[in-house]
Amino acid sequence: MTSPETGTLLTLGLYALASISGIAGTALRLPFWRKVGCGLAVAGFIVQTLILATGFHTSLPGGLSIGAYFQMIAWFVMLCGLGIGIKMRNETAALFPAPLALLLFAMSAPYLQSLIRVPESLKASFFALHIGTLFLSLALLALACVAGLLFIVLERRIKSKQHMQGFLQDMPALSLLDKLNAVTTITGFPLYTLGLAAGLLWAKPVYGASFSGDPKEVITIGIWLLYAWLFHNRLINGWKGRKPARLAIIIFLLSLFSIIVVNTLMDTHHAFIRS
Amino acid sequence: MDCELYLVGLNHRTAGVDVRERFALTNHCDKEHWALPCQGAISEALILSTCNRVELVASGCGDVAGQMLHCWATARNACSDDLRPYVYIHKNLEAVRHLFSVASSLDSMVLGEPQILGQLKTAYRKAADNHSTGVILNRLLHKAFSVAKRVRTETAVASSAVSISYAAVELAKRIFGEMHDQSAMLIGAGEMAELAATHLLQAGIKEIFVANRTLARGQELAAQFKGTAIPFEQLVDHLSRVDIIITSTGSVEPVIRARDIRAVLKARKNRPMFFIDIAVPRDIDPDVNGLDNVYLYDIDDLKEVVEENLATRRDEATKAAAIVDEEVEAFSQWLTSLNVQPTIVELINRAENMAQAELARTLKRLGPLDESVRPALEAMLHSLVRKLNHAPIMYLKGDESAHDQSPARISLIRRIFDLEGKTCTRRSSGS
Repeated sequence: MTSPETGTLLTLGLYALASISGIAGTALRLPFWRKVGCGLAVAGFIVQTLILATGFHTSLPGGLSIGAYFQMIAWFVMLCGLGIGIKMRNETAALFPAPLALLLFAMSAPYLQSLIRVPESLKASFFALHIGTLFLSLALLALACVAGLLFIVLERRIKSKQHMQGFLQDMPALSLLDKLNAVTTITGFPLYTLGLAAGLLWAKPVYGASFSGDPKEVITIGIWLLYAWLFHNRLINGWKGRKPARLAIIIFLLSLFSIIVVNTLMDTHHAFIRS
Repeated sequence: MDCELYLVGLNHRTAGVDVRERFALTNHCDKEHWALPCQGAISEALILSTCNRVELVASGCGDVAGQMLHCWATARNACSDDLRPYVYIHKNLEAVRHLFSVASSLDSMVLGEPQILGQLKTAYRKAADNHSTGVILNRLLHKAFSVAKRVRTETAVASSAVSISYAAVELAKRIFGEMHDQSAMLIGAGEMAELAATHLLQAGIKEIFVANRTLARGQELAAQFKGTAIPFEQLVDHLSRVDIIITSTGSVEPVIRARDIRAVLKARKNRPMFFIDIAVPRDIDPDVNGLDNVYLYDIDDLKEVVEENLATRRDEATKAAAIVDEEVEAFSQWLTSLNVQPTIVELINRAENMAQAELARTLKRLGPLDESVRPALEAMLHSLVRKLNHAPIMYLKGDESAHDQSPARISLIRRIFDLEGKTCTRRSSGS
């Protein structure tokens, strides 16, 4: 059995190779290397899943490091990306998540020793509902963001009658990218809502009030409102194409800001880093 | 080389359409009217005759090219001198290179067009039916097909559309992906629009509607595409049901305006629409392209796409030419191996090497031996090798005057004795 450190390094290596192979295969238009990229991404995901299954629950009582927090998001990104890629039978959708996961792994490195303060009483269910659902919705948002970005780039070229050059010729059709964006945002919003509701519910016994004006709470509710607007317009008003793609990108960027800046630099209940 | 390979031909570059018509051999490729008999200097022959080219490929000894020209001219009731100003004659590797380029569509009028490969396959089938192909042409043609496949998969020489109608369909695929759930509307009747509709149907489009000012003509077209005719006046009402709209009416005023489409989009819940306006003057208000989820391409836009695609194909042709060069080199090595002398040397060396290997193995197994045993064993093996090789070498040398049989004999011996090393490779990899 490998140690968690070896397993983490192996996962990181597989995600890095999957990203290199996927990006090179896409940029140079080499289908073989795109397939290799998909295979390596799946292998990396399996290794990470095994590490989580065998080691994560044992590390929880000691506290969850913020590095592990990023790695968990990477796992959810891979889960959603590969799931959607397989469901839509689209290689590109399966290739999206590896570089994102790699980025999240790289971001996790400085924080592997920094522990998240998880209240003892909530340790078991806290992860399952509040963190779990929020992680999953964040992973879906990340994919929505990539699909949205690609949609905007390709749509602009088609609208302005510019020639599709290089790897852009191999990208999925606009409809598929829009569908990917729709599926991820429509699935992500209820999860985000559930995660937020769980957080508010638990905030009362822990911090004395559901909403205490904490910066993290404020920005999260702001994101939720934008997300709700996107969800409503997608489902009820039939928004398609550029508009929801842009909004999904904005929501994801705000979420990233919330994780990177608010969680680590601001004075908040969610400032999990303990030096 | 005992036998030489020749390619004699004319194409759209060397001859005008009247000359191509005059010397076409379309009706001379069948068994009954075969124009290039395998007699005299010619031992193998193939005829490719299309609207843009006539190519005669033959192998043999002597004045092969002269006989080819004579047969060709005679088949068309002319003399060789009438034909000579328009033809090119390629010999050996240049002939191989030209044929590979033709098969890969690098010599076609529309670079990368796919028909030529099918035409070459048909020409080969007809030649084979006529028993006009042998060792050299069989190998050459099979190689030409594989080179064409390699060029198609490894370069983008045939990847993008170079006709207006097909470019429109390619764009539709970029927007909608799979076309099985999409429906289209043809507004007005024009050759290019009809062609685009045909391509859309081939791409698997679900349903097609036809709106024409003359309902009867619309119904006729709808029947042709197994679609539905709708009255021209009601076309806007039907727009919410269709994803791709091809217009080619003679109207001087726009038939579809941006304000119409705004309402249509609402009814469609913003599902994307693709307008292809082939008419001049244009049928669709250009402002339509400014709407979200609506894409409009007019004839000039499509022409530009085609031009860019052609430029891409020209760039890719350089890569394809490198592949052709590589394959010509490989074929040249095979051709060289068809010489008698190198084959005899290879045959002897192979047998000697095997004998030495077996001797070494046996001596190792037997252990220390009397000093006189080893030379005796070596002499026995040498004699055995020489005697075993005698018959195939005599067969290879054969009747000196029967040059036409030489490649066939060499090829047979090389295969029987595995001089290409295929069986050995398999065995060694298996072990």
